[in-house]
Formats: sequence, C-alpha cells, structure tokens
Amino acid sequence: MSIFFLLLQQELLLTAIIFVLLFVKLSTKQWNSQTVLSFVNILLVVNLAAGFFFKEKGTLFGDMFQTNDLLRFEKNILNLGTLLISLQAYNWLLKHKHAIEFYLLMLSTLLGMFFMLSSSNLLMFYVGLELASIPLAALANFDLDKKRSSEAAMKYIMSSAFASGLLLFGISLIYGMVGSVNFTDIAVAASENPLFLFGFILLIAGFGFKISAVPFHLWTADVYEGAPVAVTSYLSVISKGSMLFVMTSVLSTVFANLLFQWYNIVAVLAVLSMIVGNLFAIRQQNIKRFLAFSSISQVGFILIGMSGANIESHSSVVYFVLVYLFSNLAAFAVINVISEASGKENIDDYKGLYKTNPALTWVLAIALFSLAGIPPTAGFFGKFFLLLGGASKGNYLLIIVAALNMVISLYYYLRIIKAMFMDANETPVEKLAISWSPKISMAVCMAGIVVTGIISGAYEYIYSLLK
Amino acid sequence: MGAASLIVLILAAIAFSAGAILIAKVVTKATKNKQKAEPYESGIPTRGPSWVQFNVGYYLFALLFLIFDVELIFLYPWAVAAKKVGLLALVEIIIFFFILFMGFLYAHKKGALKWK
Repeated sequence: MSIFFLLLQQELLLTAIIFVLLFVKLSTKQWNSQTVLSFVNILLVVNLAAGFFFKEKGTLFGDMFQTNDLLRFEKNILNLGTLLISLQAYNWLLKHKHAIEFYLLMLSTLLGMFFMLSSSNLLMFYVGLELASIPLAALANFDLDKKRSSEAAMKYIMSSAFASGLLLFGISLIYGMVGSVNFTDIAVAASENPLFLFGFILLIAGFGFKISAVPFHLWTADVYEGAPVAVTSYLSVISKGSMLFVMTSVLSTVFANLLFQWYNIVAVLAVLSMIVGNLFAIRQQNIKRFLAFSSISQVGFILIGMSGANIESHSSVVYFVLVYLFSNLAAFAVINVISEASGKENIDDYKGLYKTNPALTWVLAIALFSLAGIPPTAGFFGKFFLLLGGASKGNYLLIIVAALNMVISLYYYLRIIKAMFMDANETPVEKLAISWSPKISMAVCMAGIVVTGIISGAYEYIYSLLK
Repeated sequence: MGAASLIVLILAAIAFSAGAILIAKVVTKATKNKQKAEPYESGIPTRGPSWVQFNVGYYLFALLFLIFDVELIFLYPWAVAAKKVGLLALVEIIIFFFILFMGFLYAHKKGALKWK
C-alpha cells in the first residue's frame, strides 16, 4: 500500500489539490478572489517542490503505470510551466467570475498528462490523453463573452476528436496484430506486417495532431488566436511538451524495431513543419498567430532531434522542451501583460514599445533571441544538441535544411525586435505598471533562459537520468 | 496473407458499397416532385423556421444522467471482481463514488437541477 502512495505521489498530490479547490468552490462562504488565487499559487509551488523529494521507481496496476527518474523530472518540468502560467494569468483571473474552475480544468489536464507520461499501456495512454484534451477545449472557451474564444474551442474539440479517432483506430489495429496493448509486448511483436504498419502510421498521425506537426497543424493558428493568452501558452508549452516527451520515448523504446520506417516519417514531418511554419510565420500580423507558426517550426526542430533515436537525442529533446518552456513563456508573459492592459495583439502595436516599456521590451527580445537560437541564450544550445542528435544518423541533408530554416526564422524574430526597438509609432502602448505575479514569472523565465544555457549541468543531468 | 489480404479487404469494401448504390440506381424508378423534397414525406407541413431554440436544461439533465449511468455500468464488472480482490476493491469503489459525488455536488450547487 505504501509503495502505491510513493509511486503515485505526483498524481495523488494533484488530485488532492483539485479536491481542495472543489471544496473551496462548494463551501458556503464567498471567498475573496485575491485570497483564493494566492492560495492556489501557494499550492502549486508546494506541488512543484514536492516533486523533487521522491525517487522511487517501479510499476503499478499490473504494469499499466510506470514511473522513474526521467518521468519524474519531466513531470516537474510540466509542474513548473503550469506554475508560471498561473502566475501570468493572475490579473486576468482576478476579474474572471470562474477563476477556480479555470484551475480545476487546468489541473485536470495536467493530471491527464501525468498519466499519459507514465503509461506503459496503450489504453492507459489513451485515457490520459483524453483527460488531457477534453478540459482543454473548455479552457479555450474561457473568455466567456468573446465569440472568437468559442470558435477556438469548437475548432479544438473537433480536431482533437478527429485525432483521437485516428489514434484509436491505430491502437485497435495494433491490438489486432499483437494481441496485447502492453508496451513490452508490442515492442517484441513489432514487425513490418502491413496492418501493423498501418496502425503505427495512424498512431503517429494522432501524435502529430497534438504536437501540431505540419500536415496536421491546421487547427493551431485559429485556436491559439481565439483562446485566452494563458490558455494559448498552456497549449503551446505544456500540452505540446508532454506529447513530445511521450512521443520520443514511445518511438525510441516501443517501436525501436521499426526504426527504419519511422525515421523517414519523422524526417519528412520535421522538414515540412520547419518550412511551412517558417513561411507562414513571416506573413502573420497577429502576435499570437505568429507564435503559433513559430511553435510549429520549433516542433520541426524537435522532430529532427527525435529522429536520432539514441540517448543523446532523447536527452536533447527533453532539454529543448525545458528551454522552449522558458523562452515561450517569457514571450507569452509580455503578450499577456500588454493584451490585458490595452487589448492590443497586433505586431504593429508593438512598434516603439522600447520608448514606453523598456523592461518588457528586453524580456520579449531575450525570449525571441532564445527562440531564434542566438548564442548566449539557452535556445542556441537547445538547437545545437537537437541537430547533433539528428546528425548521429548521418543524414546531413536534413541538418542542412534545418540550418537554412534557422536563418529564415531569424528574419521574422528579428522583425519583431526591430519593430520594438527602432520603428516609430504614433499611438504606442502606454507605460504599464506590472504587478508582482507576472514579474516573478518573467524573472524565473529570464533566469531559466540564461542559467540552462550557460551552465551545462541541466543537459548533463537529463543525460544522466536516461543512462 | 499480409499485404494481399489488406488490399483485397479495401477493394472488397469499395466494391460492396459502390455496388449497392449502383444496383439501387439501376433497379429503382426515380421520380422527382415537390413532395419528395419535404423533410417528412406525406407528413404535416412544417410551419415557421425549423431552427428553434430549446431549453439548455435538457442537456444538463442528460449529462447528469450520464454520470450515474456510467457509474452503474462500472458497478457490474466491479461486483464480479470484488470478492476476489477483497477489501481493496471496496476502498477503491468508495473513492470512485466520492469523486462522482463531488462532481454531482458541484452541479447541484451551480443550480443545474433547477428547471427554469
């Protein structure tokens, strides 16, 4: 019984927090929203801190659930991201009628992602995935009085239901060929049987929807634009990051026998994602749409790292997701502050931002430098390790395409930086007072970008976890 | 077996569905008139727009019903396995009920059971 609690510690803690929040919501006393939000943020800090204290590994529920040091670390990354997003959303939720419901839904999706990460069984994986994606649709609709928000939720639920359908069909075909949904059984039985391969390709299509790799990316820009900024950042960092973790480990362990087949699929997805993401990002006017396409092209780079299929490339993917979390959340923190105060979301509105808000400008500039991969920031090392991992297969054409795409991406990231620092604007965003919670979030992100880049310990720690 | 069976299955599926449509086209005698285009042929003609709004309460009740429906379905396999698993099964089903009950309580508190 005690091993049960130790192994499920992170999941049980999250469930406990969800129930505490439900009790707060159900209580007859009308709580002050400021108190409630501070309380929730303290709980999330406790949740993050507690994740570092336990080290037990093992399996539960008849091999359906597994946990080890790497999975714990990945869950800690997701916890950190959720805490940062919660801090950024503080001012928005203060005015929102349903702040507690926001956390109930968000933590439910996080719980689903934890079970998805820890699954060692296709059914457990699917249940976790559904728990992670259904409340997200409700979250996308959380700007209750905006029609765009409902549209985003509708598009998200439609496309994610379609993706789930493909995934389930793939799972059923694999089950039909193997006779088991256990990862270890599938790893042994994986063969080039056409029906099995067909199921496997459908499975990859399901993965591709969640990480918005290119042929499956069509929902991304509309959902990112319509959803509230906090939910957009949650979708682009936490939801995508958890799926990337799962995809990397599933491809390199469960389907290791089919390496030749999935290497080609992943390489094609990577090239398409980079090129389409970059070319569309150049033309965007809305900054949330812009970041949607930029995140698609980042996924292309991550897929190159994934294609290496060894320990180095696996740790490079986890490392890059950590770096990407800091960079992207720093950018979203600035967007959130500006959109909350003035409602402005167009790139043209960011012209001349340096004159009125130098601090915000620097945060956004460093975040964009990190996303583009300019040396002193962590983004450079993240991309370097990804390309190194991808190059281990000896396919240098892929690396050349990636390098060219990094140059293209530099153009559109620098376009925003130029707009902020150099362009003149008659009606710039007025000087904004930033409250403590976004400030903390931005400070943590900035520290993360610098520290994970300069100190090599982060990458080496992930590498040691995988060994 | 293998690839050949998969291709045969796909071709057979296409041939079967296309054949059914084709045969129906050839055999039946097609007529076109105004009555055919009505939603209910030889029914009462509709009056006014058919896009009427209905009370959102219906779907809330359906959702709440679904919670207990699923709960009951879960109880059957549980009841079969309960004796073998022992006390742990009882604890687990109580936790399961508790979680569902909290959801129900939330819905009740939100006034989902009031018919407006």
